[in-house]
Amino acid sequence: MPEFSQALSQKEFVVTLELDPPRGVDTTRLTETAKALQGRVDAVVISDHRGATPRQSPLWAAHLLRESGLAVVLTMTCRDRNRLALTGDILAAGAAGLQSLLLVSGDFVTLGDHPGAKPVYDLDSVQALQLAEVLRAGSDLAGQALTGAPELFAGAVAAPAATPLEPQLIKFRKKLQAGAKFIITKPLAEAGQLRSFLERSGGVEIPLIAGVEAAGPEALDDAARLLADLRGSGMARGVHLSMPSAPERLADLLKACGL
Amino acid sequence: MIVAERKGFEEIAASLSGFRKVLVVGCGTCVAVCLTGGEKEAGLLAAQLDMAAQLAGRDQVFEVACVERQCDREFLDELAARAPEFDALLSLACGAGIQFLAERYDEIPVLAGVDTTFIGVNDNVGVWEERCRSCQSCLLSTTGGICPVALCPKGMLNGPCGGTADGQCETDPERACAWTLIYERLSRTGRLENLARLVPLRDNARASLPGRRTHPAYQRRYSAHA
Ligand code: SF4
Ligand code: SF4
Repeated sequence: MPEFSQALSQKEFVVTLELDPPRGVDTTRLTETAKALQGRVDAVVISDHRGATPRQSPLWAAHLLRESGLAVVLTMTCRDRNRLALTGDILAAGAAGLQSLLLVSGDFVTLGDHPGAKPVYDLDSVQALQLAEVLRAGSDLAGQALTGAPELFAGAVAAPAATPLEPQLIKFRKKLQAGAKFIITKPLAEAGQLRSFLERSGGVEIPLIAGVEAAGPEALDDAARLLADLRGSGMARGVHLSMPSAPERLADLLKACGL
Repeated sequence: MIVAERKGFEEIAASLSGFRKVLVVGCGTCVAVCLTGGEKEAGLLAAQLDMAAQLAGRDQVFEVACVERQCDREFLDELAARAPEFDALLSLACGAGIQFLAERYDEIPVLAGVDTTFIGVNDNVGVWEERCRSCQSCLLSTTGGICPVALCPKGMLNGPCGGTADGQCETDPERACAWTLIYERLSRTGRLENLARLVPLRDNARASLPGRRTHPAYQRRYSAHA
């Protein structure tokens, strides 16, 4: 099975794509989209109730895509899980061979279409990374030994476009300290945002993938331009593409980007 | 202080249908300060209820009382002579006061006339704002006196989420991001090193259970062997 970590160590520049699990049980479209992407991307990042709207558990969708031969990164938010649920889902991911996790705090519940849901945030994203490290080392948060520790490759998100930047950098350094193995940035508006982030970050030793979002089909050209800038700049080890409004057109985006 | 909001008139009137004689009980402390359930508001509400009942041809009587604090037994005792004359008590105190009134007069139905909203401050004339979630392990010493539990919707402990834009919160562009405020204040006071350390997981055990606290000076009095 291909792994995201392998792609990172073998390729100079990787391309990942964000896909949402279906809002229902029918996974045909997801698997078809995935099939169309086979061989064209290095990993698919499965979102976790993106925008705080409910969908199928990303665990199942990630499992399906992995079975179909894709490298998968499983997003896990702290929004819907306390430390018990995070532990359980990370162990389930490990048992299913899903090593690559993207641990994030998660869009707030009131931004989605279930605004009355109870937000959890028992842990924040830094603490979720610490949890992954603890589990990887073979015990849980209570210090109990696990019957089989998960192999994990846990990454985190950075937000170079957020303002003010300095508090973001403080948190970013903590994510590195907490054991993040890779970074995917939130969508950038232009390459300069990443440049100033990197200049002020004090150095990033782990692979950093730059986020590029095509907000709509008409935004393909802008996204392609940004991607070319990023690729030429040597600042990122790859790009993470998203096109939430029309994921099936991600193939067009890849083409527009010359990939 | 505790800040509360009066329930809608329709909801209150509906909850009182079926009770003929109702005592509207105000509280002279927090809810009086936030202009929700003090003596004046209790009087106004009783008059409004009275008028609505008359217009609808309902035989109901509303009277008013106000105690200094409904969260204190000694003040609740003041109603001992009057309360039994009523079919229901409509409390305008915070949730704690309502419960204490119901406990003190447990033969009489006690109804809630307000929604208790938060522990907050008087930010401006007629404006209150939440400041504390009574989490039982206060972080303010390290966070520059700004509470990330109450003011950051995600209760982030290690710094801002990635949704901060122009210093405002991802959940509401009209509200400042708590972590921007924390950063700015610590920066101004030369204490940014407070933010560098990894903050351990919170121990929620205490705050997850109903709280009870005995002042150390009184512990012997209430201990089993006293
Ligand atoms: S940290 Fe915040 S919620 Fe907790 S006690 Fe202090 S002010 Fe209240
Ligand atoms: S923007 Fe700031 S206040 Fe709002 S949820 Fe994120 S960290 Fe908390």
